[in-house]
Amino acid sequence: MKKSKWTPLNITLGSLFVALTAVGSNITSIAPFLVVGGVPITLQTFFAVLAGIVLGSRLGAFSMFIYMVLGLAGAPIFAQFKGGIAMILSPTFGFIISFILIAYVAGKIAEKKRTLPMYIIAALTGTAINYIFGTNWMYAAYLFWFEAPEGFTYKLAWLWMIVPLPKDILLAIFAGSLAYRLEKITLISSKIKNQRHTA
Amino acid sequence: MSNSFIIGQYVPGSSIVHRLDPRTKMTIIFFFVIIVFLANSVGSYGVLIVFALLSMFITRIPIHYIVKGLTPVWFLIIFTFILHLFVTREGTVLFEIYTFKVYSGGVIQGFAIAMRFFLLILVTSLLTLTTTPIEITDAIEDMLEPLKKIKFPVHELALMMSISLRFIPTLMQETEKISKAQASRGVDFKTGPIKERAKAIVPLLVPLFVSAFKRAEDLAMAMEARGYHGGEGRTKLRALKIEKRDIFVYILFAIVIALLLYTRN
Repeated sequence: MKKSKWTPLNITLGSLFVALTAVGSNITSIAPFLVVGGVPITLQTFFAVLAGIVLGSRLGAFSMFIYMVLGLAGAPIFAQFKGGIAMILSPTFGFIISFILIAYVAGKIAEKKRTLPMYIIAALTGTAINYIFGTNWMYAAYLFWFEAPEGFTYKLAWLWMIVPLPKDILLAIFAGSLAYRLEKITLISSKIKNQRHTA
Repeated sequence: MSNSFIIGQYVPGSSIVHRLDPRTKMTIIFFFVIIVFLANSVGSYGVLIVFALLSMFITRIPIHYIVKGLTPVWFLIIFTFILHLFVTREGTVLFEIYTFKVYSGGVIQGFAIAMRFFLLILVTSLLTLTTTPIEITDAIEDMLEPLKKIKFPVHELALMMSISLRFIPTLMQETEKISKAQASRGVDFKTGPIKERAKAIVPLLVPLFVSAFKRAEDLAMAMEARGYHGGEGRTKLRALKIEKRDIFVYILFAIVIALLLYTRN
């Protein structure tokens, strides 16, 4: 009998991160929480980065892939409790795809060296990927689905995105340091720490 | 919130669309998304609209559920229409608003694109309105089977989807509980400077992580104790089966495609 590539612990942890990301995308409506200037914050990028750091690049990316597939399958786990296969047509779907990349890259960076500065770099890189990939996707989606005329330029797409950027940079730095602290607090005595090498 | 959450998009029912094999529905939607882009005449759009509306009525899902599912995209549809109205400069001038000239080409173009998007959203959302995420998970596992050859973890994908589905409501409740517990200890999530409120995230997330990791470990241990060893040689409780009605729907859809190709310019 061929042995499964992943241990049961890998599988359950990966699933837990899917659930955590689902919680993070709507945290403001579950817990009375940060609403900056009327815009509720989401912790999706935060959890994507964390998935990469804690689970490692491969399992982390796979976990974010499942988050995407599950949302498309109709579970209302995207921001604002959206879900369903029609989301694939939404111009903001690129941000959801970018979580897979974020987890992978953040995992790769953190696997190099597990120090606080590296974690912050991983989180910042993740946010950068989120923006670059998401905005390009949004622009392409407008061109493709709506055949947007010349009025909608590439510059305009970026102007749209510049507004929440400072908030997200701060959140990324915060995510990196929190990831470091969380790992210290929660993983010290558990065997989860060892599973990383097998994933 | 919690009630609507557990159900998600799915609306229970017993219509023929509900009872179709999820693989049939997914295949048809896949091809529908492609053929929508082939439509380029009034007739071809008509074929697609009739098909979409007919499927919608067959499901017997109350209209307001469907409308609710469409609300996030109304804005996009209208926005696209208006954009095309003002920017496209083809055909004859219909009327002027201030200095903007509205051309007949713009109206047609805008209407066509908005209709295309409306059709896409309507038909795709019918899948998730009539199919539970569990059914879709089974279908995905079955349809991705060939990918096992290139070492893609198809079984793990389906298993993790099911586990996640089960854990999402649990973790949501957990988060709610923790935030209330911490609030009663004096953690302030709602007022004060932003920096202070951002710091309040720590007493929320640390207990959440501790309990989430504990759950993961417990479940993994339970799986090991029951002898879980991967997907090899496992049988299924809910086996998928292609029935007569699935074949009927495939034939019907083939006719729709033929009609579409016949009516387009």
